[in-house]
Parts: sequence; structure tokens; C-alpha cells
Amino acid sequence: MRGNPVYKREMTVSSRSIRVSVIMMVFNSILALVALLNMYSMTSQVRVTAEISYASFLDLYVFVAAIEFLMLVFIMPALTSGSISGERERQTLNLMLSTQMTPFQIVIGKLMSSMVNMALLVVSSFPVFSLVFVYGGIRITDLALLLLLYLAVALLSAGLGLCFSAVCRRSTVATAISYGFLVFLIAGTYAVNYFIWSMAQMGAASYVNQMGGIASQVNSGGLIYLMLFNPAVTFYQIIGVQTGNREVSAQVIQWFGSRSSNPILDAWIPVSLILQTLLALLLLAVAVRAVDPVGRHQAGSRKREARERKR
Amino acid sequence: MLKIENLKKAYGKYHALDGLTMNIRRGALYGFVGPNGAGKTTTIKILTGLLAADSGSITIDGVDALRERQSMKGKIGYVPDAFGIYDNLKVWEYMEFFASCYGMEGLMARKRCTFLLEQVGLEERMDFYVDGLSRGMKQRLCLARALIHDPVLLVLDEPSSGLDPKTRMEFKELLLELNEQGKTILISSHVLSELNQMCTDIGIIDQGRMVLGGSIKEITSRVDQSNPLMITVYSNMDTAMAILRSHSCVRTISIRENCLAVGFTGDAQDEALLLQQLVDAEVLVTSFFRNQGNLESLFMQITDHEEKEVLLYEGKPGL
Repeated sequence: MRGNPVYKREMTVSSRSIRVSVIMMVFNSILALVALLNMYSMTSQVRVTAEISYASFLDLYVFVAAIEFLMLVFIMPALTSGSISGERERQTLNLMLSTQMTPFQIVIGKLMSSMVNMALLVVSSFPVFSLVFVYGGIRITDLALLLLLYLAVALLSAGLGLCFSAVCRRSTVATAISYGFLVFLIAGTYAVNYFIWSMAQMGAASYVNQMGGIASQVNSGGLIYLMLFNPAVTFYQIIGVQTGNREVSAQVIQWFGSRSSNPILDAWIPVSLILQTLLALLLLAVAVRAVDPVGRHQAGSRKREARERKR
Repeated sequence: MLKIENLKKAYGKYHALDGLTMNIRRGALYGFVGPNGAGKTTTIKILTGLLAADSGSITIDGVDALRERQSMKGKIGYVPDAFGIYDNLKVWEYMEFFASCYGMEGLMARKRCTFLLEQVGLEERMDFYVDGLSRGMKQRLCLARALIHDPVLLVLDEPSSGLDPKTRMEFKELLLELNEQGKTILISSHVLSELNQMCTDIGIIDQGRMVLGGSIKEITSRVDQSNPLMITVYSNMDTAMAILRSHSCVRTISIRENCLAVGFTGDAQDEALLLQQLVDAEVLVTSFFRNQGNLESLFMQITDHEEKEVLLYEGKPGL
């Protein structure tokens, strides 16, 4: 990674920019303020009632974890969606491609620099996170699992941004499509499942009316598996388990109608993390292909030849 | 050294390159000329690995450049028509970045960067931000960047566009210096008078095909032959006209006052004999010369399709 010229250049440029420092300061200020207010409220309560509610310290953990999750999801595309299209707009992409650097190196350099900037933000919030350990309730393995989710989410968000940045000519279009795709992953998968479930319920209700029988159990069918790509649901499950709700996985499965469990749905957290990572890798592969004009053309030629051979 | 054979590239139904064939010998300063849309930039992009060709071959020193794309990039230095500048990078950082793109790191890269910046006269601007350089300096920096890996072939796409005459002249001197040092240079430009002065070879491309190519001496001599002989006669015009009409090399004669423009197909010896014949016939001649070769007129002749169509139309009055 240290030898990647794009990564080195991006780090040089970003270290000169005030942007990352400002984001870090604002983000940590908000976290610190909320943490201090939370602690103040706890101690005030203790003074009045002489009762320590250790469970409420977990609220601080949930809040900090949620803020970091949202930041990773929504800041990463902003950092990456203009990175390759920006090179194209500055007319520097062709210069890089005319050197011995490969499209893979260019995309990886961009990815690593955005991941490192994001890691800086996450690491800088550790002092606030550590407050939770003062009172207990969260184990180091819980934190490790959360960091694993952050890594998968950051990879997915960065992959989205880089993919559309490589495919689209303009940064503004790439940013808009990246956020559109992200909103589909988070809200769209939920909405699709809810819509299909509602339709199925309506259909079942009319059938029940005609037959005069008992309403049958309906659900959104196989579309529930789309939710495995939804990072917000994975986050919800991880936080649910860590804050003591052992039934969270079963609850999520029942969101869109009752259904029996199976090995995939039972292992929601590891399966969703793997699928989201695979989706991120696929998006990065698309980005590499889109950056390489010669490779893209050769693939197109091969397809044309195959079609002609079939004829 | 560079051999392009039957290169084809189409964008949908439009054929940008339609069987382009050209050769560039080692050490040449090759002017690549053509009207807009003739296929110059497409050729350069294919050559530099930025575009795939539909068919044809490119060989550099006998190696297939289309197959050995990655290693060939190490043999070509590319200066595009746009500068390609990064904000927030200093001149030496910009150079070291591109050095690392070719796998050069540390002291070796630093020495090479310093050497090249000295060569292009930017050694005192090493700590300046690239964005703050003038247009001419940016162009020189781009040239230094393209030379970072010591390529055998330097490809420049419209390098003089937007430069003032003084900067253009300095840039030209720089290219001549590099050529003297043994670099083979392919330069695409619209400024034909400039190419005429500095290039050793030239190729004119039109509609994706090479229409004229060779050494600049050969081409200008061919242009000379296609230009008229200009004869100014002081007296005895009738005798002069009779001699010219009977001469086997004379194709056309046009008269303006006492000046004759003669379409003459003969060589220098035929010209000398014609002059002697006129003098022997007591025709007083005040001037006798052939119009000098002009690449611009040749370029217009070859590439001006609209004019040819008009002439064709005029030649067929019934249409």
C-alpha cells in the first residue's frame, strides 16, 4: 500500500487540506458533548435517587455507534464519488493510464486513501467509546464486531462511490447515483419488502373474505434476502444483540410476515457481512474495468465475436 | 522504429481510422498533420495505450505494442493537448509522483526529476505549486514529466496550442535539443509553418488514412514541382509565349500584365534550359523563379474536399 503512487499522492494532498481536520473536529465535538451530557444526566439522577442505572450507559454506546455508522455510510460516497471522475475532469486520468500504472493500482490507491481517512475518524472517536468501558456492559469482542461491520460498510460505501465515479463522466452525476443506490440499499430494500408484504396481505384478506375462513399467514417471500445487503439492518442486529436483545434476529425475520427460520436467516450477521463485502468487491471490479478503456473495449469485442459466432 | 500498419478504429458507423499505415525512423522529428477529425488524436491514443484499435498492428523496435501494452508504455512518453495538473502539489512532488508511476523511487527518482527540471529550465520553481505556474511553464513541466522514464519515443499532441509566440519558440528549441540528443519525436500540430522549420519527416493524415508521408525535403521538392514557374518579361512577350506554348513541359500559362505563371513539369535542368531558350530568342526576362514549397498550400490541396467538389461541379455545366 505504501508503494502505491496514487495513495501517496492522495495522502499528501489530503494532509494539506483542512477538510479532514474540520470533519474530525466537528464529529468528535458532537460525540464528546453528547457523552458529557449523558454522564451529567446519570450523575444528577444518582444524586436524586441514589440509584445507578447501568443500562443507561449503554445508550451512550448506542448513540456513538449509530453516529459513526451514519457517518461511514454517508461520508464515504462523498469522499470517493468524485475521485476518479475528478481525475477525468482534470484530464489527469489519461496521464496516469499512459504510465505503467494499472487501473487496479489506481482504484486501490483511491480506495485505500479514503479508507485511511475514515479510519482516522473512527480511531479519533475511541476516547469517547472508551467511556463505556469505564462502567462496563460492553466487551472488547463486541467492539471488535462493531469495527468489523464498520469495515464492511466503509468498503461498501467506498466501492459504490468509486464504481459510479469510474462509470460516470461527471462527479455530480456520480455522487447523485451513489447516494441513490445507497438509499435503495437502506430504505429501498425495506420499502420493497413492505410493499410486497402489504400486497400479499390484501390478496390474502380478499381470499379469506370469499372463503369465510381464517386469514392465512403471508410474507414478502424471497425478497427478505435483499435485506441481507442492507447495512442498517446488520447494524440494528449487532447493536440489538450487544444491548441484550437476544431475540433481535428472530424479530427482524418477522418484520414482513411470519416465516420459519433457516440457516441463512439464522446466521444473519455473518451472512450479511460476507454478502456486503462481496458486493463491495464486485463494485470495485466494475470500477477497475471502467477505468481501463482498452480492457472494456476488448470485453465488448469478445462479446460481439461470440454473438456473431452464435449466428 | 515505429511501424503502424493498416490501423482501423470505428466509433459506431464513423471510421476514425481507416487503414492507417505509417513508419517513423529512429531519431526522426515527425510532424503528424491533418484536419480536425482526421484521426490524429485517435492514433496517438491507441499508440499510448489509452484506446483499443479494432484491427491493425503497431510495432516499436519490432515488438507488438498492442499486445505488450504495459511494457510498451515504458518506451513512450506522452504529452497530451491538456496539461493535466494537480492542485496542491508542488513541482517536485508532481514529478516524483509520475516517477513512482514508472516504479522509480527515492534518490534515483529525485536525481532524474532534478535533471529534467534543469533541462526544461524549471529548477528554480521546484518548490512552487504547479497550479501557480504560467502556461508555458506548465507545458515545459509536462514535457519533463513525459521524459521521466527516458522513453525512446516522445509523443506530443498539439503541444503549442494556447502558447504565445515566444513560449512556442522556446518550446520548439527544447524539442530540437531533445531530437539532437537522439530522441524520436512524434508531434501533432496545426501550425504547419512551425513543423516545416523543425521536422525531419512529415505525414499528412486525412479521413483516417495517410495521404502523404516522407522526409520533409522530399515533400517540399514535390510541392515545388506542383507550384508554377513565375516569369516576368520586360519585352518581346509574343516570342516568349510562342516558346512556352511549344515547350513539352509546359502545361498551363496564365498572364497578368507582363508576369507569366507557367505550370511546368520539368526539373531544375529543364528550367535552366527554358531560361536559356528565352534569352537566346532575345526575350528580356527580369525574373525567373519557381514558387517555393509551402506545406500549408499542400495541406489545403490534399485535405480541402469541399473545394474539389465545387471544381467538379463547375466542370460539368449540364448538372
